[in-house]
Amino acid sequence: MNIKLFKKGDLAVIIAVAVAAVVFAFFAKARTDKPVAVISVDGVEVEAVELYSLNERKEINLGGDYNIKIIAENGGIYFEHSDCPDKLCINAGVLRESGDLAVCLPAKTVITVEGTDVDAVVY
Amino acid sequence: MNKIAKALAAVAVAVLVLLIVADTVKPALKFSFFAMNTFVSGEVEGKSLKETNNEIENIINTLDKMILSRTAEDSFVYNLNKNGEAVADTELFGYFTKLAEVSAKSGGAFDYTLGAVSDLWSFGNTPSVPESNALAEALSHSGYEKVILSDGSITLTDKNAVVDFGASGKGIALDELKNYLDTAEVSRGVISVGGSVLLYGNDDFTVGIKNPSGASDYAAKLTVKECCVSTSGSYEQSFEKDGRKYHHILDPETGFPAESEVISATVISESGLLSDALSTACFVLGIEKGFELAEEFGAEVIFITENCEIHYKESKDTAISVSGNFTAVKH
Repeated sequence: MNIKLFKKGDLAVIIAVAVAAVVFAFFAKARTDKPVAVISVDGVEVEAVELYSLNERKEINLGGDYNIKIIAENGGIYFEHSDCPDKLCINAGVLRESGDLAVCLPAKTVITVEGTDVDAVVY
Repeated sequence: MNKIAKALAAVAVAVLVLLIVADTVKPALKFSFFAMNTFVSGEVEGKSLKETNNEIENIINTLDKMILSRTAEDSFVYNLNKNGEAVADTELFGYFTKLAEVSAKSGGAFDYTLGAVSDLWSFGNTPSVPESNALAEALSHSGYEKVILSDGSITLTDKNAVVDFGASGKGIALDELKNYLDTAEVSRGVISVGGSVLLYGNDDFTVGIKNPSGASDYAAKLTVKECCVSTSGSYEQSFEKDGRKYHHILDPETGFPAESEVISATVISESGLLSDALSTACFVLGIEKGFELAEEFGAEVIFITENCEIHYKESKDTAISVSGNFTAVKH
């Protein structure tokens, strides 16, 4: 058998394209693997923060009936204030890693850190 | 070969490689919503996902409103508590039977009639230490043996007993969801109802146990097959008064927060109800008795203690990897 489909040069181009595709896919995936904290109120996303690219402390005032205030800083995000009775949201502490979750039930406000390395967290 | 064919070949290779690398071509849908006074979130893979998502929300809301809620006037439990008797369908009667069994076998460490007592503590609202006379009065009307189960009918022998699904409702929701997923075109699903989790499908799943200290790493990671996993932890809801800390897992004997060496108990079971109810029972019972109880129900339990030990038994179904900040203690 000596049917040559591709010349050497053509093959090189195809391999180069394939390598470029892998590199692109790798970076595309790596980007989504960076932890992103998503804040949502009653199921609606109101803010997304890339946790490891903040240069300064960021105050997120959601207000509402419970006067929710969230602080994001490089590497962490947390409920700073809520007028809810039990303060479970504040007690949840600083969220840093994928899968971390803090919920203020009365205010229906949730912070989740996305990009997961486990399927679920029990608490 | 002409140039067009070569260009097409190059594109085809690139697309193929991208598809292989991406490896996330399975249709999956993430969802989250508030129901049953808690936060529900999850992800399902399969067909008709939008419908599935709506149905999941519907099932939980219906379960709460029609069965479990203490306050909704149409709910089964509301009417049982009000009238002192009610007739349940086979499935619901089955749940009551299981709860009675966990109550009895745990020697009352789990009790589904503690409603009046937990109302006094008011966790989830503005918690406070109950006044001792009121607590004694509420305790005198509690006790699982005050519920008589016979042929589908449920009778309270004490009119003031208050059936409460607070320590098992999330688990029952998981069982209902599992029944539904069996009929839906779902190949894999993970659903968390307020931290009690259903892992559904023929696959391996990883589950992180929250670090009780609040630190961000998991205390342990579990690798499990299809099952339900629930945790009862004293760190989850608590308050301080006069320098003393009070958490939300009550000992049915004293009416006060349970005191044992344990700060969290995680239970793995095929049944959501059992994972939920047994995690409470095991927390109250402590390590040795907790292991025995879980075994009686074919469930596994993992304890975390105050001094950062993680106690577990080896199992063929569950692999556990303990974080470096904890000491693994195999039994």
